Amino acid sequence: MAIDNYDVKYSSNLMTFEFVSEGIKGKITKVVQYTPRGLKNFYNLGFGDKKEETGEVDDMIITDNGDSKKVLATVASTVYRFTEKYPDAMIYATGSTKSRTRMYRIGISNNLKDIRKDFFVFGLKNNQWHDFEADKEYEGFLVVRKKN
Amino acid sequence: MEAKENTKKKKGTFKYSKKLDKYREKILFPKKVEKADEVLRKVGLPKQLFKSS
Repeated sequence: MAIDNYDVKYSSNLMTFEFVSEGIKGKITKVVQYTPRGLKNFYNLGFGDKKEETGEVDDMIITDNGDSKKVLATVASTVYRFTEKYPDAMIYATGSTKSRTRMYRIGISNNLKDIRKDFFVFGLKNNQWHDFEADKEYEGFLVVRKKN
Repeated sequence: MEAKENTKKKKGTFKYSKKLDKYREKILFPKKVEKADEVLRKVGLPKQLFKSS
């Protein structure tokens, strides 16, 4: 099944992205940020909702806007865009809750064949990295773009 | 005539927004970043990565 993506806005350094989720609870602005860490080419992927009243970003909010597949597909599209500019990036991601980490894992599992065409995918479990396997539980994920 | 299901994926567009440059020096997800730092410190990178590349 094909999954649509939302239109995305990006910052000049392609490290911050924003899009609007449109679902049963209305329009909700989502923000994705890639944050460089101490090790060269290592980035954290953060993702959450922007509160319209304050402009603050919160990754603990549970939105349930009924469009989680489209939202995840849009976040994935930012990974492609980001790694076009930063092809050596190693991107770490984890959910802010166990259920959200599970949602990421399901999202990766469902699209693993396509993702593996372009990325190495690893799952973190008990302080060890493993080659990602569909439907296995992980605490975090690391993706690295393949040199095609 | 039966309507065919549209299975073509709608790719979203990407557009530059100057407004987002205000986040350039700001960490929006500090707790996640802390977790990432902890993983780097305790676990490091996958050994498989170096075999793969």
